[in-house]
Amino acid sequence: MKDTPLSNCERDFLLKAIEEKKRLDGRQTYDYRKIKISFGTDYGCCFVDLGQTRVMAQVSCELVAPKENRPNEGIMFFNIELSPMASPGFEQGRQSELSVKLNRQLERCLRNSKCIDTESLCVVSGEKVWQIRVDVHTLNNDGNLMDAASIAAITALCHFRRPDVSTQGQEVTVLYFFFFLNFCLQYSPEERDPIPLSIYHMPISVSFAFFQQGTYLLVDPCEREERVMDGLLVIAMNKHREICSIQSSGGIMLLKEQVMRCSKIAGVKVSEITELISEALLNDRKARKAGGKCGFAESMPQERITALKKDETPVEMTDVTETANGIIQKGEAAPQTVPSPVVPVPGVGQVGQGLQNSWGLEDDDEDNYEEEKNDNSGDEQVEEVTKMDVGEGDVVEISDSEEEEVVILNPEVPEKLKNTGSKSHQKGAAASKKRQKK
Amino acid sequence: MAADMRLPTIRKTVSLSAAAFDRKDLVVPGDVITSDTGFMRGHGTYVDDDKLTASVAGEVQRVDKLICVRPLKTRFNGEVGDVVVGRITEVQQKRWKVETNSRLDSVLLLSSVNLPGGELRRRSAEDELTMREYLQEGDLISAEVQSVFMDGALSLHTRSLKYGKLGQGVLVQLSPSLIKRQKTHFHNLPCGASIILGNNGFVWLYPTPGQQEEEAGGFYTSLEPVSLSDREVISRLRNCLLALAAHKVLLYDTSVLYCYESSLQHQVKDILKPEVMEEIVMLTHQKLLEQEG
Repeated sequence: MKDTPLSNCERDFLLKAIEEKKRLDGRQTYDYRKIKISFGTDYGCCFVDLGQTRVMAQVSCELVAPKENRPNEGIMFFNIELSPMASPGFEQGRQSELSVKLNRQLERCLRNSKCIDTESLCVVSGEKVWQIRVDVHTLNNDGNLMDAASIAAITALCHFRRPDVSTQGQEVTVLYFFFFLNFCLQYSPEERDPIPLSIYHMPISVSFAFFQQGTYLLVDPCEREERVMDGLLVIAMNKHREICSIQSSGGIMLLKEQVMRCSKIAGVKVSEITELISEALLNDRKARKAGGKCGFAESMPQERITALKKDETPVEMTDVTETANGIIQKGEAAPQTVPSPVVPVPGVGQVGQGLQNSWGLEDDDEDNYEEEKNDNSGDEQVEEVTKMDVGEGDVVEISDSEEEEVVILNPEVPEKLKNTGSKSHQKGAAASKKRQKK
Repeated sequence: MAADMRLPTIRKTVSLSAAAFDRKDLVVPGDVITSDTGFMRGHGTYVDDDKLTASVAGEVQRVDKLICVRPLKTRFNGEVGDVVVGRITEVQQKRWKVETNSRLDSVLLLSSVNLPGGELRRRSAEDELTMREYLQEGDLISAEVQSVFMDGALSLHTRSLKYGKLGQGVLVQLSPSLIKRQKTHFHNLPCGASIILGNNGFVWLYPTPGQQEEEAGGFYTSLEPVSLSDREVISRLRNCLLALAAHKVLLYDTSVLYCYESSLQHQVKDILKPEVMEEIVMLTHQKLLEQEG
């Protein structure tokens, strides 16, 4: 299915906002969204949430024959799956341009940077080596899949433990837990602890989106921003400030200073993210050692009322009052509507009063009808705010906004409190009743 | 700054036309329609264990031996002669691809649009190169369905002065099943705005053009600022359309107009509140019933 096209108004709005250094979710230009890393029960399974973008990486291993030209090196295989779960625009099975791009970028970032020691993956030179396979599945696309995928992949690789192997002679060995090998004996996790991969450094990619032919730049674009961007610059770096790969797409002309500036920003971001990853790995290790329950099922929020609670969005709040006051002063008066004798703000006078609602009683309505008519005759065509002292009646005034209309209750009206005047209004009784039921 | 708060309540869904639906056969996916094997299966059904089962949610229609299920909520299935409002998604060689809320993007051929000035001639290579000057990606057009391709894609045309590129206005995207089929889908409402009710569920609201100058097939889009009163009318109409759509009321010029009149006692922004929506729609419904007599 195709994505719904973006309307011109939305596009203009986004670009205009970016020109004024404002982003839709209130972030600053160089801010990342909230990153959350959680692990599954198996070693090597990792979920990464980058704001609303969600990806899962799974690492698995297998003993295979090595490549002919590299007989003593292990094999690394990377794969990013764009499933329709992530976005209706992704089609299952079809290699779209984006999928090719992401796959290539992840390979360059992880394979060419030699972050994993492939020689340590060799078991029997020329015959048996470990093939490490990293599968990244996109679960939700809210922009910047590349960064999320790279974080997930490297974290999963750090988290992964491969089975321990020992080589024996030519004898045929007994079938063990995994499969039958005649030269190597693979130990099951109960016999020997699985060992982690040997990882030299953690390359992480940082994406920069450019707008208006390179004039404005944003870090970590969300999905809307990605739709209107002109070009994308992806820099993969590790915390030692070594650049592993740079890719610029979209055909924008970048100046040397811009690329230098981006690499500096990337350096800062990468060290923050690396810290986050190390912390997450440490927490997970502690949890597993303590024997507590860990894994995906535990990290999912329980079915409580607050399960779908959204995190607070960081919004600039310091000048909200002044801006709001300014808008009110400059704004025009609200257009005149037919004044309704009903108090527009429901619940006025009823909150905490606990008095009887007399709507259902027919005879009382008739009695009060005449009295109300007398009350309202003077007020009908004039929209005015009638203030009341708190001590006088039961109706309490909450605000003195001009849009409200508070009707003074006559002292002769019986103690049963109700929003007066609704009966004589042309609105249906049912509708007013609904307003009452608060 | 005025904020509006209300406590949560259980709102009863107001079923407006309860009587009318009593006799309709509504099914949900998986419902067995009949176990009789003598019927032929049409759209929206499948045979499961010799039982005819519905695969979509909708009403069952039977024509002699043919049973099909017409879904209530579906993508737009165009017929020849439907008026649609669509957005250009691609500019290709000699045609534009238009998004019309259907399963496939519709096609607007270069030969199906009016040339500027109303000339009648064969389209040349130059016309192909200046296609983008007329319609770009993101532009909105009103068009009519000329024919349907074999795969279900629609072929549109704007060969009349009332169709063409749309200028300033508001687009409301609703379900196609809510739009009533009528003789004309272009209305100048007496409240001071004009409306195009596209059969594909896209409704276009725009200020009534002043002096009826010939727009030459939509080539000229006026960019004069629209007055505040016009904007207010259009905003109110838009909110009324959303209210009617939320309560599944069939949309045509009369129902929209009645809804507009019923909403005059509220402020424009209040119309979006659920209680106010229910009230307005009930009033509209009453007026429509009275009118039908």
